[in-house]
Amino acid sequence: MGRQTCVISAGFSEHASKRSDVSMPEMVSEAIEDCLKKVPGLELKDIDAFVNGNMPAFEGANIPELWMTDWLGARNKPLLRVTTGGTTGGSVAIAGYYTVAAGLPGVDTVLAVAFEQQSQGDTSVGLASVALGEMTAISSLGLPIEKLRRLVSAGAAIGIASYQATNYMRKSKITEEDLARVVVQNRRNAAKNWYTHLKMPNLTIQDVLDTPYISFPLRYGMVCPASDGACAMLFTTEEKAKEWADIPVYVNGVASVANQTAIVGYNAAGAGQLDPSEQLGSQLSADLAFKQAGISFPRKEIDYAEVYAPFPNQELMWVEKLGLFEMNTATAMYKAGVTAVNGELPINSSGGVNSTNAIGASAMERPAEAALQIMGKAGNQVKKAVHTSLGHGWGGIINLITMMVMADEPQRKFR
Amino acid sequence: MSQKSLQYEKKEYVKTRTMPGSWYLSSYKYKYNFSHFKPFFEKLKEKKLVGLQCSSCNEVSFPPKLVCGRCLIKPDRWVDIRETAQVATFSITYEKNPQTGETEEKPVVAIRHDGADTMFLGVIDPSTNFHDVYVGMPLKVKWVENPQGNINDIDYYEVINDKAKNMEIRKE
Amino acid sequence: MEKVGIVGYFYVKMKPELDYGRYDLVFETVRGALDSAGLKKKDLTTVISCTNDYYDGRTISNAFCVEPGGAYLVDESKVEMDGPHAVLYALMRILSGNHKLALVWAGSTPSCFPYDSTQLYATDPTWERPTELLNQMVSGGLQMKAYMNKYGIKVEDIAKVAVKNHKNAAKNELANPEAQLPNISINDVLKSDIMSDPVTELMYAQPCDGMAALLLAPEKQALKITENPVWIKGVGWNQETYYLGDRNLHESKAMELASKMAFKSAGITAKDVDVAELFEHFAHEELIFSEAIGFAEKGKGSKLNSEINGDLPINPSGGAIGGNAPCATGLIRMIEAVKQLQGKAQGYQVKDAKIAVASGQVGFCAQNSILYVLEKGGN
Repeated sequence: MGRQTCVISAGFSEHASKRSDVSMPEMVSEAIEDCLKKVPGLELKDIDAFVNGNMPAFEGANIPELWMTDWLGARNKPLLRVTTGGTTGGSVAIAGYYTVAAGLPGVDTVLAVAFEQQSQGDTSVGLASVALGEMTAISSLGLPIEKLRRLVSAGAAIGIASYQATNYMRKSKITEEDLARVVVQNRRNAAKNWYTHLKMPNLTIQDVLDTPYISFPLRYGMVCPASDGACAMLFTTEEKAKEWADIPVYVNGVASVANQTAIVGYNAAGAGQLDPSEQLGSQLSADLAFKQAGISFPRKEIDYAEVYAPFPNQELMWVEKLGLFEMNTATAMYKAGVTAVNGELPINSSGGVNSTNAIGASAMERPAEAALQIMGKAGNQVKKAVHTSLGHGWGGIINLITMMVMADEPQRKFR
Repeated sequence: MSQKSLQYEKKEYVKTRTMPGSWYLSSYKYKYNFSHFKPFFEKLKEKKLVGLQCSSCNEVSFPPKLVCGRCLIKPDRWVDIRETAQVATFSITYEKNPQTGETEEKPVVAIRHDGADTMFLGVIDPSTNFHDVYVGMPLKVKWVENPQGNINDIDYYEVINDKAKNMEIRKE
Repeated sequence: MEKVGIVGYFYVKMKPELDYGRYDLVFETVRGALDSAGLKKKDLTTVISCTNDYYDGRTISNAFCVEPGGAYLVDESKVEMDGPHAVLYALMRILSGNHKLALVWAGSTPSCFPYDSTQLYATDPTWERPTELLNQMVSGGLQMKAYMNKYGIKVEDIAKVAVKNHKNAAKNELANPEAQLPNISINDVLKSDIMSDPVTELMYAQPCDGMAALLLAPEKQALKITENPVWIKGVGWNQETYYLGDRNLHESKAMELASKMAFKSAGITAKDVDVAELFEHFAHEELIFSEAIGFAEKGKGSKLNSEINGDLPINPSGGAIGGNAPCATGLIRMIEAVKQLQGKAQGYQVKDAKIAVASGQVGFCAQNSILYVLEKGGN
């Protein structure tokens, strides 16, 4: 049951803090054009199905794919919408993979698109509404709402991540300088990539440490921006991939295991994740995806990784949790340059989420960049030959994860 | 003088026409089920703490959970919880006071009671220095004078003396 | 396409306002579905939910539902269209060979918010939202007028469909009590309040609270779980263009292409179908769909005898007019079709049903339609 699936192209639109020159559908069609122009033999009529997603709260538009049908090129074609909050991009990429792998008759080539135009809406309303329902529940039990707003702290995503940072820093004893080093590497990488948002080719560690605190231990200079942007990926079968692309990238493992919420429990209960930096869901996802892909030693077998880390402490935490480095050694690896563009295991050479964060699209840009590195067509291509790479995303109340492991050779045997 | 944002290479985009619109949540009516909270509130009136335990996986939740995620059943066994607790995680936010315009420090703490397996957001004794807070710091409940039978009966958590404070393992 | 079977299902009795909390409702539905198949939570390998952020009043509506929805430490995802689209995603996950048992749950509670005014958020923000003229009901009115004018159909023929569905809903114990009207007549339908001329109140599928869940498994596992699984023989889904002026409202191109795709992958024609459960937002949509699928010629949909003992029964359970829980309605149509094939539809059973179709839709005038072909399994 099932069949081999390949990624043959990925495209992006230009990302900025306010793309005031395009509406949502125009931005999406920019990404689709960029994706299709890398595959000269393919035309829009060859695409059999579409999968789309974004986070609907940010633009104030419900199911926007309905009125964007013509701009996507999806008139009279099958279309599916998948949304899971912060991991939307990763879920859309995984859904694109499954649409091809299922082998439904007549559905061979699938275009997956994820986008976000945050400047069109009020981001803080969108983020606050994640936990708003639960907060009203707690306040109906007698707790005054002012106490609650302060409790969940400034901006849902940053607030939640800062708890994770506290626990992680206690366990691993990293300093602020280590965090700033990660930021400097990401932003300098972004300067070499054409579509990113924060391009800072001359950033230093001291520049980052000079900014004030936003939420201990994170400073303003360390956090990700809010961008507008779109991303598109093209999935197809093995036979057609060999026809259209020079190097077809096989998708070997996908996983998206969910966990209990952290900090705020559902229905005013206690939250089950006692240590948000433990991330049982991501460890299980990584195990599942690596098993499907036949990888036993990720440190040696993965050549390139794109990790979803809007904040630098998360990057240090994820590379350990996903099995790429041993516990508490990530900072030493960054210091030694192992994760730089010309290092042994480059991480986020596209600039990562720390430099570009269009929430609906960024979880798809991670596997898209990882695929482009294997194809040799990335914006900031690493020096070594990349044979296996992975793209990762997280979101929700730190309980949703997506993972996609790709290689230039197929792993699974299909009967 | 430290500035908030770092400089980066920007590109200017042409501004096109915009249309106003809105998405408001004020007309939404959230519905919840709190029938399983009744024993919890009744014991709070007597200044006692109870947690709900799942009879299948023995996870104790405080405040009580409606459904145990691991076993997909409704837990129904009530167990006693001690008044001592630990800090599970914390953070300090810097918010601008709308009246004075100054940036204030606002600490937030997540607390796990001894005997429970879940954490919830709570308040520490306002007179403590928040920069002294660390993960694992021991706390104790301070009740209000006349408990009414809701969450506000726990006034705040006071810090108790940590006899292990000077041990090498605690040093940050 | 390899065989995938539906092995368990459950849906809560629909009411205009359910007095459940949200998580209690999800838990009861999911538990009911697992119990109906005799399975445990640890057997699940993947969970797909279908809810809509705007209908739930919160973003990432699946994040807090991880525990009550049975998705704890399970590979899960969320689709934001109608129930059958979530079943499609679960079907694709099983056909890829990665998963062995999938749970799909869908539903919402429109009693918590003004349903018809939130439809505004699905309109084009540049041209249509500022005028605030377009919503589900207006588009339904335009569609009905177009259909009546093109083929000269009388409004009584369309009211007949509404009467049939309300009477059928009275036989279905899980339908919305406000829609269960066994003694209704064509006159009652025509005299009820006008919602958007010529659509009247009793021709429109009123939104109500509800939630439904379904279990899928590949062939080998399905035969071990139950003696008579229902096989999914074919599926087709399609989305046509958005703007109402660019479409022919008297026909449904999306349903035509979707049913072509489904019948081709199932290897049957419209004549082989014994019973149909279609998600019709308005009474006239049932006629438009039956013509698009091929049950009747264009313009002759009202001549078809679609009663329970007729030539081709359509919506013996009352259809969406019997209860429309947004995001769950299409899934409930699939469950009712499964019940017909298993012989478990008490009081409205169609005799000797072997092949059924079930449909779902999303968007104004069924812009995105999906159709399943289901076959009776076992003996």
